[in-house]
This record gives sequence, structure tokens and C-alpha cells, in this order.
Amino acid sequence: MLKYDVVIVGAGGAGMNAALSASKESGLKVAVLSKIYPTRSHTGAAQGGINAALGFRDPTDSIEKHFRDTVKGSDFLADQDAVEFFTSGMPDIIRELDYMGVPFSRDEQGRVAQRPFGGASSPRCCYSADKTGHVILHALFEQCLKNGVRFFDDWCLLSLVVEGNQLQGLVAMDMRSGEIHPIMAKSIVIATGGFGRIYWSRTTNAFNMTGDGTAAAFEAGIPLKDPEFVQFHPTGLAGTGILMSEACRGEGGYLLNNQGERFMANYAPSKMELGPRDVVSRSIEMEIKAGRGFGEGMTAHVLMDLRHLGKEKIMERLPQVRELALDFEGIDIIHQPVGIRASCHYMMGGIHVQDFRTCATPVQGIHAAGECSAVSIHGANRLGGNSVADVVFFGKYAGLGARETAKQRSLGNESQVQAEANRWMQKFAQMRQKTGGNNLFEIRNRMAEAMWYNVGIFRTERNMVHALDVINELLEEYKDTSIGDTSVKYNTAFIHYVEVGNLLKLAKAVCMGAIARKESRGSHAREDYTERNDAEFLKHTLIHKEGDNYRLDYSPVKITKYAPEERAY
Amino acid sequence: MRNITFRIKRYDGTKHWVQSYSFRHEEGKTFLWALTKIREEQDPTLNFTSACRHAICGSCAVRVNGHGHLVCKTSLDELLEVYGSDVLDLEPLDNFEIVRDLVIDWRPKTERIQEVKPWLIPTEEGSAETGFLQAAKDYHKIASPTDCIQCGICSSECEQLAENKNFLDPFILNRAYRFAVDSRDAAPEAHIRPALENDLWKCLHCHGCVTQCPKGIRLDREIAYLRQESMKMGELDNLGARHAYAFHDDVQAKGRLNEMTLPIKTEGLVTTAMKRIPFALRMVARGKINPLHMPQAINGIESVRRLYVKTKGGRK
Repeated sequence: MLKYDVVIVGAGGAGMNAALSASKESGLKVAVLSKIYPTRSHTGAAQGGINAALGFRDPTDSIEKHFRDTVKGSDFLADQDAVEFFTSGMPDIIRELDYMGVPFSRDEQGRVAQRPFGGASSPRCCYSADKTGHVILHALFEQCLKNGVRFFDDWCLLSLVVEGNQLQGLVAMDMRSGEIHPIMAKSIVIATGGFGRIYWSRTTNAFNMTGDGTAAAFEAGIPLKDPEFVQFHPTGLAGTGILMSEACRGEGGYLLNNQGERFMANYAPSKMELGPRDVVSRSIEMEIKAGRGFGEGMTAHVLMDLRHLGKEKIMERLPQVRELALDFEGIDIIHQPVGIRASCHYMMGGIHVQDFRTCATPVQGIHAAGECSAVSIHGANRLGGNSVADVVFFGKYAGLGARETAKQRSLGNESQVQAEANRWMQKFAQMRQKTGGNNLFEIRNRMAEAMWYNVGIFRTERNMVHALDVINELLEEYKDTSIGDTSVKYNTAFIHYVEVGNLLKLAKAVCMGAIARKESRGSHAREDYTERNDAEFLKHTLIHKEGDNYRLDYSPVKITKYAPEERAY
Repeated sequence: MRNITFRIKRYDGTKHWVQSYSFRHEEGKTFLWALTKIREEQDPTLNFTSACRHAICGSCAVRVNGHGHLVCKTSLDELLEVYGSDVLDLEPLDNFEIVRDLVIDWRPKTERIQEVKPWLIPTEEGSAETGFLQAAKDYHKIASPTDCIQCGICSSECEQLAENKNFLDPFILNRAYRFAVDSRDAAPEAHIRPALENDLWKCLHCHGCVTQCPKGIRLDREIAYLRQESMKMGELDNLGARHAYAFHDDVQAKGRLNEMTLPIKTEGLVTTAMKRIPFALRMVARGKINPLHMPQAINGIESVRRLYVKTKGGRK
């Protein structure tokens, strides 16, 4: 049986930095499981940058301002002690990344360059052209190679084994051989990313962003925190939803309606295009609803105009973005505006982290970091540039936390973990033979449609209850579906079956949290409750899964410094 | 109604076969759209990998009619037009072990990439507590090589790798280059020497990697740089360096190459005598070469030599 002191699940920015800090000078046996080759992880898709109040571009910037901006951006739902911890530590993280070899763009003095970003009161977003996540991901991978981190690529997490609130172990599939393994671990870090694929076709997320770790933790009894807060990125390409970096707006891009107006003047007069994502996404949808967009239905969009930046700046700062618009829309942003519309981008909610210093969850032995988790520093709306920051920062502290946890715990009950592995082996054998039943792709597509139309940017009780009904129906249909592939080796059809199951579980929690939150806050915009209601809802949603039963609960928000006030930009 | 056919090379771990799939043409679609459509509507057993769908994760490279492409960003219409056919052949990348169908195994490459120490060996000017200062012009040297997404297309295109498993994949050479030119790196030699020791000079200059690289990385120039640096490190006593100097010296002396003495200068007299003479005799017999021809200096040789002075040529 495989036995490790620390197992990290997921090899994106959070997972790899957790692996580095867990293995550093500890003598512990550490392994990283990843569904894909590490450098394919979705951290690499982050384009615009990583926030740290270094004050290079603007000497008046400060950790305090980063703290305040993040809290305001969160619509006051972030835990302020955690945000302060995070913003205070970010300048050091940038220096560490620099020392790892991250190729940051530089200012005239050779310091890390910074740019303006949405919702930020100073330009503090550090970047490498428009491939910041990509270069950070690769640098972390290089450091892992240097430090001899043990990777299990093409291994998919199936479940976590927990008994009496104690981690026992985990079960994962080696996709290449098709073998299902019980794995013993004293502690684990879940770092499996978000689950934006509940909106399947209208998301900037990679195909594999199916919340496997989040669903496994949820199933193992760890509550989901604030799942109703889903970020829609304002600038997805009109046709495909592919991300056009926030750096486009950061560098000075305009958003235009069909009258040629910079419509953000009507919604965020002082910040204009540099309003936070929730505000800008809603503004785009309002313009389209008012008939001031282009096209109709799924192809409706507004324009982003970058022509005034000039060729030189575009080629220096936004070269990949230009390529994307060229490749996917046939538009050269140097010469033409490009059609954009909001696209599901990020999950503020996730695995309930109880201790922000160690990223520990309520279950002894399980830690979580990155998009899969909710610490919560993003509250109801994450600021651009705070997600790569989150993964690197909390990845580090989760790794350190898991290291200490592993020193204090011993391995769990082998027979119990073996029994869970056997259960999965049976399931795999059964699914390889099963034929007929409901079409898995249809189940997935109906889920996505229900979520996009009913639990999207604007929400009402009626629509969301309908979506919940659909998801409940689909959960039933999912029990009788088939995969159509009998192969043991590299059976991606089976993996997709597991992924769709995870998405359905999580989509249901999103609906429940959203229906119960009868207010508008951050990304959660209700047409039937248009105001923020601090008296009743200044609290975190916690959804518990107990068998097939979902239970809704709340927990207080930590407010240390900034009392909620009106959020205007 | 226009139908497109993909003939896909398949593999289940034991046997290989080619399977044809036809689907209705739609305009403005990518190869990823087509493969997804086939998997979801015709054959759930078809395996390929894909993640980000916007050319940054490097998961989805396959060969179409022999050449590597990222399926997520490659336009179907474009290649249909290039090949003038509605039937296309899809295979996994070359020079990789195949796991299943179009899925390749990256583990052996992960082992190999470590040979060039693909991580920053930091100078004493920086620290984990302070970071570094780096001039913008020095950042620009590493901007393009760090675009690499490790998709493996360059490996698939590499003609040398196909014949010589000792040769390092172009993306690995790119990684060596990326650190060798980083002003924050204290030990460029540590990245260059392993490249040199793994047949760096055997790159055939076929430009296959450069032509297909989805990020437009100039691997040819990077390889040329690594060779030059290896010579500056004093690594002159090898086939590649001697071959380069044979060109260099001949052109300086006569303004043209002496093909008769080139192998002798490169490989030495004994090796040439043993390896090349039978071949040379056959060429003489067919009138391909004239062993008695000694090239004269070209007209204007003084200008050529002035160029050498101007570019600070000449042996060190």
C-alpha cells in the first residue's frame, strides 16, 4: 500500500507550492497527485498578474490599501484577519518567486513591474506580459524538479476516507494503468482548483475544472463555504468564452456599446472600466438587456476597444491576448475592437478552511488551498490579481500546515481505506460493463444550461428553484448512465463520469446557497432582493452533505477593521 | 452536404489500428471541436487530452498529416485548404511513447529535462528575502523562451531525435537556453554543458521545430547561441566546433568552402580515411567531385576578410 506523510492533490500553483514548503527541510515523504501533467494546470491560464503592495509603481500604495481594496471588493464578506495576513505576506511572496526565476516584466529601475487592475486603488498587479500564471506555474514546477518532489501524473482523486473527523487516507486512480489505489497519508492538502465547469460551455475554465477535490471533501463531511458566489469575468471572447485578460482593461482598454459609448460611465463613474469584475459583468449584461449590445441570444456582446493603446504597447504588454483574439475571433486588436461578454471564471466559495494560517479544515489531517478552498479572502467577489496571489500564498501556508500536522499524526486505518478502494474498483468494473441508460453528455449539458440561464449573473428565486429541480432530476438520471468504454487503461470516459458526478453535487450546493441568500452581495445579484442585507446576511453560507441530504448553515464573518459601508466605484 | 473524414491512428495498449470518423463540416471550427464532437457523438472510447482550450496548457498537440498542431487553436478550414482534401490523418505526436490513442507519455521527458538543470541557479545578487533587480533588456532575453508551454510539438518534428535518442528535445534545449541567458543565473555552463554532451552539434537545422512551434520560439537561434557559448567555454575539440571552424577558416582564406578538406578538418585525417574514402571514391567515379580541384580565392576576398575583422572574427 502507498504510504506518505503528506499527499498533495493537485499540481497547480497551490499544490506545487504546498509540496515545496511541506518537503523543505522536513525529511517527510511527500507526494503530489495530479489528474494531468503539472504544467497543464489551470494556474497557467492566469494572464494579467499577481497583486502585492510593493509600491514600486505607486509609492503611496501600502499593504493597508491592498487590505482595504480586497475587503471592499469582497462586498465585506471576506474574513478580515485572513485578508490582512494575506496582503501583509504578498510582497515577500513576489520576492520568493523572483528568486525562483519567475520572469517578471520590469520597470526602468529593474524592479518588478506593476499595472493597474480592477477594484484596486493603486497599480499593484505584478506581471509578466500577459502570461503571469503560466510563468509562475513553470517556475514552481522547476523548483519541484530541483527539490525532487515526487509527482504522480495522470492520477485522479476518487475519494477521501474520513472516520470520526479524522483523515484515514484517500483513494485515487492511476489513469494510465487503470489501477485504483488506496493511499495512506498523515495529512493532505487539497489543491484541485475550481468547478466553473458547472456552466460547461460558458466558462473561461479548462475542461478539467470539475472540482474533484472540493466534491471529495464535501462528500467526506467538510462543509462547502459560500458556494453561491460565482465570478463572471467581464471579458470572455463573444464566441467561445475564452478569457481576455483583465490586463486589457488594466492597460487602458475601453468597453463600448452599440452607440459607441463607454457605458461604464453610467455604472462606475470614477473607476470606469477598472471597476471590479462583478460590477463590470453586470453592466455589460444591462447594456445587452437594454438593447445596446451587438447580436442576440448566446452571441450577444459588447465591444472592447484597445486600438488607442497602440501597436507597441499591445505587443509588449498583451501579446498573447492579441494572439487569442486573432486565433479565435479572427480579430486583430491593434486594428479592430473585439466582441466580449461575461463568462464564468472563478468560484469564490469552496472547501471550508477554518484556520487561515495553516489552511486546516474541520477534519483533522485535511488542509485545502487555492480556488478549491474558501479561506475566505475573496468573500462575495474576488479582485483580479488576487487569485494567483492566493494560490501561491496559501499554497505555501497549507504546505507548512500539513507538514506540522503530519508530524503530529500517525497513519490511519488501512482496512478502511482498502475497503473504500475496493468499492471504487467494483464501481469501475461495473461501469465498464454497463450499457444503455441516460446519456452522460446530455446530463452534463442540461446542468450547464440550467445553471447559466437560472443561476447566472442575475438571479431570481423562481429561476433558481427551477435550476435546483433540474439538478435534482439530473442527480437521479446520473444514477443510471453509462460510459461506453470497456478499457481498463486510460479510460477517460470513466474519469468524465466521475467529473460529471462531482459537478452535479456542487451545482446543487450552488443553487441552495443562492436561493437561501435573499440579498444582493458581490457576484450574487438578485432581481428579487436587489440590496445588500447586512442585518441578515453578513455571514458565510455553510452547506453540509450528509449522505444524500444537504443541510444549510451559516457562520459569522470576521470583521476586524472595516465596518461594512456602501460599495461604490 | 460536405463531410469531413478523420483517419485516426488508434492504440489500446497492445494493438494499433486506423479508424475513420466522418462528420458534417461546419465553418469556423477548430480541430478540438471536431475531436470533441467525435468523442461525444460517435465514439466515447476515443482518447485525446485537452484542457485550457486556448493554447496555454500544452495538452492537446497531435499530428495532422504528419505535422504537430495544438488542436485547440488550429482551424479546421485552414488545414483542409492547405491539404486540399476533406480527409485528414491524425496521429499522436512522434518521438513519444503512446499511452492510448492520441495520448502520449510525458514521464520519460520529465526525466530528461532534468539533465539541463532546468531551474534558476541564483547569483549572489539576489536572495529569497530581497528578490532581484533585472534590467528590462535582460527580461526581454527570457521573454520569448519562457513562452514555451511544453506541448511537445518540437520533439515530434525533430529529425535528429527521430534517429538519435541521445539528442535532447528542442524544448529541453530551450529550457537550457532560457536559464543560460537569464541575468539572474550564476552558472550558465551548468545548463549548456549537458546540452553539449548530448549531441548539441547534431541539430540538422531542418527548422521543423521552429516552423511548427505554436509560440513562435526561435529554437534555431537558441541552439546556435548554445553552440557559440560552448565554444566560448573552450569546448573546441569536438566534431561540431571543428566543423564550424572549417567553414570559418576556409571562407576567411578563400571566400569559399573547400569540400575536400572539410571532413579532414572536422573528423581528422584517420577517421576521414577510414570512413569517407570509399564513399569519396564512389563520388569521384560518378563525377560528383574532383579531388584535384583546389578552390582559388574568390574575387574581392579582401572585402570578405575585412568583414571578419569588422565582426571580430578569427580564432580565439
